[in-house]
Amino acid sequence: MPNQPVIIIISLLLGLCSGVIMHRSDFCIAGMFRDLFLFRSSPLLRSLLLLITISMLLFEAARLIGLLNYQLPSSLYGLPSLANLFGGVLFGVGMVLAGGCAVGTLYKLGSGNGSAFFALSGLIAGSTIFAEFHPAWKQFSASTRLADVATLPQLLSLPKPLTILPLVTIFSILLIFWQRQGMMKRPSIVKGYLQPRTAAVMLAGIVFFSFALIGMPLGLTTSYAKIGAFLENLAAPEHFATLEYFHAQGFRYYSPLAHHTLSAGAGPAWDGLSLAQFPLIIGIVGGSAASAILMGKFHISLKLPKAQIISALLGGLLMGAAARMAPSCNVWHLLGGLPLLSLQSILFTLGLLPGAWCGSKLLTRFVLKA
Amino acid sequence: MTETEKEIVVIDVCGQICPSSLLTALREINQRKNELRDGKLQLDIITDNHDSINRIAEAVSNMGYQVSLADQGKQFRISICKTDGAIQK
Repeated sequence: MPNQPVIIIISLLLGLCSGVIMHRSDFCIAGMFRDLFLFRSSPLLRSLLLLITISMLLFEAARLIGLLNYQLPSSLYGLPSLANLFGGVLFGVGMVLAGGCAVGTLYKLGSGNGSAFFALSGLIAGSTIFAEFHPAWKQFSASTRLADVATLPQLLSLPKPLTILPLVTIFSILLIFWQRQGMMKRPSIVKGYLQPRTAAVMLAGIVFFSFALIGMPLGLTTSYAKIGAFLENLAAPEHFATLEYFHAQGFRYYSPLAHHTLSAGAGPAWDGLSLAQFPLIIGIVGGSAASAILMGKFHISLKLPKAQIISALLGGLLMGAAARMAPSCNVWHLLGGLPLLSLQSILFTLGLLPGAWCGSKLLTRFVLKA
Repeated sequence: MTETEKEIVVIDVCGQICPSSLLTALREINQRKNELRDGKLQLDIITDNHDSINRIAEAVSNMGYQVSLADQGKQFRISICKTDGAIQK
């Protein structure tokens, strides 16, 4: 693969910036969905809508001028099925129980948060367990196809700009209304706090750079499967050899920096995904740790009630498996797929809502008694 | 009741699953609202989560209590007491 060091360095930088931004603004996507049901108010969810709206505009503008015109990753432009919806539901339950999503877990881990450590262990275990039922799930996904097109404009037989424009207009009106009402700003007494709306603008820029330079939006969870696969291969090599999921290279995307299409899979090999995802993961954890240290707030806290340890592990496990089933995690679908109006991502997001509701019920019933 | 007789209850929720800080704070306030209202109690929550601090401050002020934040190096201490009571450090 040509230009490998450049791809690694850029991914690392994107991760470092994301880590700092997410730590300073506490940009917790799991919390955004959870609070909608737990407290019937989710001020941070408005910032997520801002991020998605900006990305819609940026991606479409870039596509129109020919900047993002290469072939997009297969799991963004795959055909929608019930697998996306169910994956979203399960992911929603998992992220609330774990107290952070696929990326939230990383920035929380970077600042020394104890529950994030257990959530990450769960994520790795869940991604690995998926390989056991992957063949059955693949069949389920194929037999529950909901459309033979991949995006909303294709489904509506409309040109892409004509589908994007009304959505961007509606979202912008909402956002302007909230801005005028003062609802986009979070009152904060914490020094060094970054407003989530500012974080949203910055993160939209990061996802855009990732798309333009790396060839895909931010993604992480395949690497969790890779870590699990590596460990399983060490512990039980004979069983590992029978797992089809870890031996396939089904993921393809065009890498603008490598100037050709890279393929990848969930196996422990160094491939087109490890190249971009591992530096990103290290970057997010490192960026958040640096930000916490600069604020004087880096602090490892592992003293947790037992119920929370179980909840974080179990939530991580569900999230890890769900991210393989969906396929892909919330960051990929919300920040990458939704702005492109991918039907898979729309279904995943629709699934997140009942999932987060269910997770909130479980959390307050069994883990954090209010 | 003089301020020196006020009981201070300290709850450390660092590193816990979100939204533990907010839920713990709300639960304690509800359970001990009489003592809080009478100025007999000050509730100190130790946390390291930015968003929880914002949310606790917002929710608790809306409930009519006084909130103050102290930066304690690695963590923050959020002190909650009745509106006209003096926060004890």
